[in-house]
Amino acid sequence: MSTGLPAAPLLAKRRLGDKIALALVLVLALAPLISGDGFSLRFGAEILLIGTAVMSLNLLIGGGGLVSLGHAAVFGAAGYSAAVAAGSLGAQLPLMLLIGIAAGMLIAGIMGLVTLRSSGLFFLVLTLVVGQMVWELAFRWREVTGGADGLRGFPKLALGSLRLDTPLALYLVAAGIALIGWMVTRSFQQAPIGQALAGVRDQPIRMGALGYQVGRIRVTAFLVAGAVAGAAGAIYPFVNQYIGPNSVHWSMSAALIIMAVIGGVGSLYGGYLGALVYLFVQTEVSSYTDRWQLVIGLIFVATVILMPNGIAHWLGQRGVRGGRV
Amino acid sequence: MSYYLVQTLNALSFSVLLMLTGLGLSLVLSLMNFVNLTHGSFFLLGGYVAIHWIGAGAPWWLAFPAAFVIAGAVGLVLDRFPFGRFYPRTHLMQVLLTYGLSVIFADLMRWGFGADTMSLPTPELLRGVVFVAGLPFPIYRLFIIVSGGALALALWYAIDRTLWGAAIRACVIDRGIVETLGLNTRRIFTVGVVIAAGLGGLGGALGSGMLSAYPGLDEEVLLLALLVVVVGGLGSFGGTVLSALLLGFVTTFSRVWLPEFANFLSLGIMAAVLVIWPSGLVVRKMRPV
Amino acid sequence: MTFSESRLMTSTSITRRQLLAASAASALGLGLMRPVRAAGGETPIKIALITSLSGPFAALGESMRAGLELLILESGGKMGGRQVTLLVEDDQGKPDEAVRKVRKLLSQDKVDVLCGVISAAVALAIRDIVADAKALTFISIAAANGLAREASSPYIFRPTKTSWMLGHTGALWTYDKIAKEGGITLGSDYAAGREYVGDFINTYRQQGGKLGQQLWTPLGTADFAPIVMNLAALSPAFVYAFFPGADAVRFLQQVRDFKLQDKIRVIGPGALFDQEDVLPAAGDAGLGGVNTYHQSPGAPASAEFAALYQKVRNRLPGEASTSTYATGQVIRAGIEAVAGDIAQKDKLKERLLSAPVSTALGPMRFDSRNNQAILDIYVNEVRRGQDGKPFNTVVHTYPAIQDPGPKA
Repeated sequence: MSTGLPAAPLLAKRRLGDKIALALVLVLALAPLISGDGFSLRFGAEILLIGTAVMSLNLLIGGGGLVSLGHAAVFGAAGYSAAVAAGSLGAQLPLMLLIGIAAGMLIAGIMGLVTLRSSGLFFLVLTLVVGQMVWELAFRWREVTGGADGLRGFPKLALGSLRLDTPLALYLVAAGIALIGWMVTRSFQQAPIGQALAGVRDQPIRMGALGYQVGRIRVTAFLVAGAVAGAAGAIYPFVNQYIGPNSVHWSMSAALIIMAVIGGVGSLYGGYLGALVYLFVQTEVSSYTDRWQLVIGLIFVATVILMPNGIAHWLGQRGVRGGRV
Repeated sequence: MSYYLVQTLNALSFSVLLMLTGLGLSLVLSLMNFVNLTHGSFFLLGGYVAIHWIGAGAPWWLAFPAAFVIAGAVGLVLDRFPFGRFYPRTHLMQVLLTYGLSVIFADLMRWGFGADTMSLPTPELLRGVVFVAGLPFPIYRLFIIVSGGALALALWYAIDRTLWGAAIRACVIDRGIVETLGLNTRRIFTVGVVIAAGLGGLGGALGSGMLSAYPGLDEEVLLLALLVVVVGGLGSFGGTVLSALLLGFVTTFSRVWLPEFANFLSLGIMAAVLVIWPSGLVVRKMRPV
Repeated sequence: MTFSESRLMTSTSITRRQLLAASAASALGLGLMRPVRAAGGETPIKIALITSLSGPFAALGESMRAGLELLILESGGKMGGRQVTLLVEDDQGKPDEAVRKVRKLLSQDKVDVLCGVISAAVALAIRDIVADAKALTFISIAAANGLAREASSPYIFRPTKTSWMLGHTGALWTYDKIAKEGGITLGSDYAAGREYVGDFINTYRQQGGKLGQQLWTPLGTADFAPIVMNLAALSPAFVYAFFPGADAVRFLQQVRDFKLQDKIRVIGPGALFDQEDVLPAAGDAGLGGVNTYHQSPGAPASAEFAALYQKVRNRLPGEASTSTYATGQVIRAGIEAVAGDIAQKDKLKERLLSAPVSTALGPMRFDSRNNQAILDIYVNEVRRGQDGKPFNTVVHTYPAIQDPGPKA
């Protein structure tokens, strides 16, 4: 494999190609819209939102080597905050996003601070424990979160006087969030701090010796991931007008990790692929067989063994091998 | 006074149960540096084996070795494929692989054993209570304390005091050197995984008398075992014992005094431990492979 | 990992192939979800059962499916002269998944009737969706009081109990026959536990009874020993308790293990001593328990069903199977009233609201305010049955118990 970097014009072409690529993907996905039924669009919106959360998790895992088993707590806490706020302040889109981002950054920031000195398996377990503490809070604080029953009956999403609760509107909002989240995450990764994070992932001691503030870099990564996940999480309750403690449970965090791995840990859009595969199997396949969990498990194990870097990387490999670089 | 004595015994029996759940995981993790998240599945399998064994009328004291053997056999198969290729990989890859496998096993067991909760038909000898300072304490729990303690002791002895234990510990630190000594390290790892799996099954068989067996128990047990082993610190058996005692006592007494917040408190304390001691309670210096 | 490999890992630019693959995947994914429907002709009536086949309630889910399948089999696969197709959907015990499934069933599979639902959380989560879609829904198990009160809907029928119906009758019986004071309550700390215990306490106090402590434990408690020890120390006249599924089994067994079974009377809603879900695993630990339930394997109304179920599944039915069988009977009665023309929803509802339906839970009337069933509640005591195994024996019946409804 060549270690040479692609020439500048090639890079520029690729960047333009990204934008076209994304636009094309959206257009293609929009095609069923014309004859699409409410279910597909809502499902699509869910996939986009959860995919965005997975992408933010990828920032931590792929970018920083920080495998967090508590990321659902970030996503779900944003959702709860938005739903609760909607109850008293109305469900205006900008406000919901703001609250979601704030909540996401708060929980993620706490996780980042608490795990500053942890790594590897200890990091995994600590994020799991903190995530479960959030779950206990959501489960027990019945007056605010609805406890085991979750929250329902909050106002529907709106922008000014424009109602955003139709499947099409939700899909577009979700797509918008996915797009913006993707741009934010990509800029983070390509910015000096993103590169520094990668450095911390690979060689933390050397980075420290070079004068980088490892702790600050880690916490910043958490905050960015929290913001992106928070934005997606804020809109999540409005897709089904419901949010429950299951959204913050560690099993949801595990599912996010599975989606990240299936899609490809290093790539940004891998999160969406993983979310699509996982949710598709969970919802569609389970209608045909009781053994859908077996199917998911097999897909996952096969991915880990055969395509350890996920579908996206596998595709990338094919592309590169077929071309040059 | 006697009330607290019995509650202490309760805490002790729960701690030993936690330790039982963590035994096999601690072995593979501490000694072989292999994160095995299928451990919960072995536990549940052992439980089902014991329940069906005793339910079928076979001699009860053979149920536990049977669980050990069957779980160990599954471990043997897994060692062939796919564990073998993952021993040298990073923890993350091992976590992913074994978690995926545990999802598969959970579904297979639900398919095979059904979704109903099943409980152990406790043999006559182990039923009943002994009276501790006037309060009743179940004999089965004493049985768990005694057998769990004996198992832990035996394991500690095997690992710390025998050549085989030394070989296994050496394999993790520097596999290459051990190979030059003429020892088949691949086989040593296999033996380690088989014994760890067997211990998981044995723990499940013993624990089924207290916890029953049902789909979902594997996940719950895995969580507890992971918590206990990681908080205890890797590379040391004593750490596992210590954190099992910590979690057992914290959980039991918070249930006594603040039952509603018991879970939150237990989680909080475990988190605090990991924050204060980021590498667990007992740290043994190990060179990363 | 080499330098270039790691660059690839964090590379964010996409090649044409990746783009094509990604868009193909997304189009495929979204496209596959489009319905494939054969139009016209004698289309069968589609009934969808929403149940848990995985997750914490999987055992109940299997029983539900068995109950409904039995009913459909008995009806020869037809209701009101039309073929009936049963779609079974797994909500995995998660409300999020249930919501997705319900939307799919309504818009893609275009089902005519929804039924089932085990957990209250699921029922509440899907309530708005089915109400907006005006889809006929029959809740077979979920007992949440809310569905009969502020969350009721003209399109949601509940041919089963509410938590209040069980907690209330439990209190009546306990006050009359067990003790007027000196009892305590112990519950699983989540919505269902809070409702059962709360309703019990309200009625018991209204009758004039005095209660001691209220104890709560988190869901999924592995070791009840500390709590059981507390019980031993408190020596209450009775314990009104509620735990679901495996927790119930463990609690009862640990009460027996600590030799408190004969010293403490355990009373609870029927789910604590469910004939199919709890008693087989708890065994003798369940003996002596008292519970109030709208279902009892020995009740005359369900005798026929119990015999049939025993033949097919080799076990006595509990609530899950009986309630779902009864749900099937209610649906059948409705469909027969409109001679198979399921589009005539109002006529179907009128039939159910105007006259009782004969079901395995007794003659079932529906309250026109909230479509909540008015049921006989049995007081069961767990005694040794004819085969020596624990059996819920009816010792008393409270006839026609009606939930207070929207005014409550």
